[in-house]
Amino acid sequence: MLKSLVYMYRLRFAETIIYMLQATEYDVKAYLRWLWRVKDFEKVSYRRSLIKTRRSSMLLLAIKLGMLVQFAVAIAWASLAIKNKEPAGIFAVDLFLSTPLVWSHLVVLPLVLARWFWVQPLNRVDVGRSKKSFQKHRAIKIAVAGSYGKTTMKEILLVVLAEGTKVAATPANKNVAISHAQFAKQLEGDEDILIVEFGEGAPGDVAGFAQTVKPDIGIITGLAPAHLDKYKTLQRAGEDIFSLAQYLDDKNVYVNGESEALKSFIKPGHQLYDGRQAAGWAIKAVKSSINGLSFEMTKDGKNLKIKSQLIGEHQIGPLALAAALADKLGLTKEQIEKGISKVESFEHRMQPRQVDGACIIDDTYNGNIDGMLAGLKLLKSLPAKRRIYVTPGLVDQGAESAKIHRRLGEAIAGSDADLVVLMKHSVTDDIVAGIKQGKFKGELKIEEDPLNFYTNLDQFVATGDLVVLQNDWPDNYN
Amino acid sequence: MRTVAIIFGGRSTEHDVSIITAIASVIKPLELAKQYKVEAVYIAKDGSWYWDDKLKDIQLYQSGEIDEFMRRAAKVHLLFDNGLTLVKSSQFAGRKMYKKIDIVFPAMHGTHGEDGELMGLLEMANVPYVGCDFRASTVAMDKVLAKQVTQASGIKSPSYIWFRSDQLSKPNEPLNRIKDLKYPLFVKPAHLGSSIGISRVEKESELMNALEVAVHYDDKVIIEEAVPNLIEVTLPIMGNDELRPALLEHPLTKPKDFFDFDTKYIGGGKKGGSKGKKGAQGYSEIPAKLPKELYDKAEKTALDVYRALGCSGIARVDLLIDNKAGEVYFNEVNPLPGGLYAHNWRKAGVSNVDLVTKLVTLAEQKWQAKQKLTTSFSTSYLKQF
Repeated sequence: MLKSLVYMYRLRFAETIIYMLQATEYDVKAYLRWLWRVKDFEKVSYRRSLIKTRRSSMLLLAIKLGMLVQFAVAIAWASLAIKNKEPAGIFAVDLFLSTPLVWSHLVVLPLVLARWFWVQPLNRVDVGRSKKSFQKHRAIKIAVAGSYGKTTMKEILLVVLAEGTKVAATPANKNVAISHAQFAKQLEGDEDILIVEFGEGAPGDVAGFAQTVKPDIGIITGLAPAHLDKYKTLQRAGEDIFSLAQYLDDKNVYVNGESEALKSFIKPGHQLYDGRQAAGWAIKAVKSSINGLSFEMTKDGKNLKIKSQLIGEHQIGPLALAAALADKLGLTKEQIEKGISKVESFEHRMQPRQVDGACIIDDTYNGNIDGMLAGLKLLKSLPAKRRIYVTPGLVDQGAESAKIHRRLGEAIAGSDADLVVLMKHSVTDDIVAGIKQGKFKGELKIEEDPLNFYTNLDQFVATGDLVVLQNDWPDNYN
Repeated sequence: MRTVAIIFGGRSTEHDVSIITAIASVIKPLELAKQYKVEAVYIAKDGSWYWDDKLKDIQLYQSGEIDEFMRRAAKVHLLFDNGLTLVKSSQFAGRKMYKKIDIVFPAMHGTHGEDGELMGLLEMANVPYVGCDFRASTVAMDKVLAKQVTQASGIKSPSYIWFRSDQLSKPNEPLNRIKDLKYPLFVKPAHLGSSIGISRVEKESELMNALEVAVHYDDKVIIEEAVPNLIEVTLPIMGNDELRPALLEHPLTKPKDFFDFDTKYIGGGKKGGSKGKKGAQGYSEIPAKLPKELYDKAEKTALDVYRALGCSGIARVDLLIDNKAGEVYFNEVNPLPGGLYAHNWRKAGVSNVDLVTKLVTLAEQKWQAKQKLTTSFSTSYLKQF
């Protein structure tokens, strides 16, 4: 306790503050919520540490200088008060003690001011320009929206469509208005297809993006609790995501049929994709192994033989939809099959790795219940000497968190895992309750130090083990 | 939480190998298991004992700072108080630190450790310890005794003779006996592991030199015939009554090479080479590619050796196979294999963490079984005096 209190009066505290800002992507509200929740600032920077950028370095310098000046003034005032025997000198102690409190709050002021008077006006200009740019562009525009699975869907489409068309897509998981604007600036004008990821953050976001990008095709990948601080309910999040379908008059809309939460939003004009069908194509002869997937697709006498490096049967739907869209957009059978075979696993998304003969499936970027259930299904389906499942649970699940984590626990119990390692967090008890309810027969471990476990994973596994690692718990949720 | 003391280092030519075994293969996974409080007990080359958390850091030894550490640190005393307690002066106010040890994990190789001496001490303290007891360790670490015991159980060994180092001052008698053996021969110190002091002798003129090398390290020397059409294999085994073999491992050396210290720990398995990175982990065929019948025969022989010598906890049995004749010969036993042969156990499906925790459990089971034995017997003998 004393140690963590003393830490707040060290200059390293300034780095912790800036790290917290950076980890929340300079979102003032999220930062303040985290700041008021933290009990021990020394342990805040756990998984990562401050990345020195121009913005973070300037803020760090400002806060360090501010703290030093306040310390110096307090000490000078206290010295003078002692010398002159002034009782008011007691306020110098207050001034000294309040330094971390003052500067951890004051640091948001330049951010707020810059956002109001600089960033937002500039962004508005850029977004306005991008609206015109998208409107003028001759390419077919595909919008990908959903609480999860957007980036994977977009990357699959990008690789497959690139076999026969000139295609561009928003980079990584950049999916907000300003990212779309920057993407529009970089376009060459002769692209055949543009793929734009729509991130949902607050009510009206997706509808706004649709007005700007003006997509021709919409893909809705899934619905799960996320950003519930803004949406409040899953229903409202779903309504925002389906505003993409509304924009398209419910035509050329493709919806993931495996996402339970999406089902109540599906309308007759929407086309589904899942493990059995995709936009009218029938899927059969599915083979799934640790080396990838293979299946056949047929429609109106056409036949596609799909072989992919991606693992997990939940990937069949997105792969099949990419193949179906590629066919619709004029790619040949050879181009489609070749394109699909080129799709490599994405970093930290069902990414297989070998450690001392053990197969590790790194799915630590998975942050939704549907994805977790898919991972557990995969764990159960693949052959292994010993099955190990590792997770901290899910963040940002709102009021449904306890229910979702008990459901996760029950699914874990039914996964035939020999060993389950839960990274200790606020949701652990709910997962354990579900595991007990599911009458889990294997060994259960609660790991207090997740980072240490991940770092030394090689010490816990042996040849023949299959390990599924799902989700990671960001520092700002501790 | 129970306390496990890892004892390593020691007055042995394999002192450095022991440090690596202790830090990389025992302390690290045991700490990760989070079931025990792990204490590092280091025995220096002069036989002094030290106990400190700093001793868990490999950098201390690699940088040479261990000498400075030993100059400053208080030596450890042992207290036998119906168990084992480590005692260390705290350097302040004459106070002493005590640490009761629940289980000992010896991580020592070679003399004054692996050979049963340490295990004898631990038996006296009546504390559970990992691995073979002092009887099995003593026999296993004497290549001559081990062959005599296993031969009595019907297990084959290559033809051999042995003699004490003092007999070398009058070499005629041992040299005459050697004439009964067929060249090439192997000359080995009887008590050392890690292949230290071993020479391969192709002809009689090389013999004296090889003998001098061997007696430089040991007072007992064994000379044995080389096995023709040789496939050298080794099998780590764990267990007390119920045995679990790992996988038969075939070290990949050139036909005329043998498994000497450099080949094992420095050359990365390529004799004379320096490209290997993982010492005993990067140059073996696991499992050994043998016909199933021969693999099974070798595995059975190794298990028979383990039982014949009364091994418990863990040991590694080395075998020599005449590939053409299909004969399996016992070579030697390591009661505490370097690095616990964790690389082989991992291939066999046992993780590092599981390996050390299983060994600790086996140690406790062995100790509990021993507690049931009666150690006192009432007589009127004293009253007669």
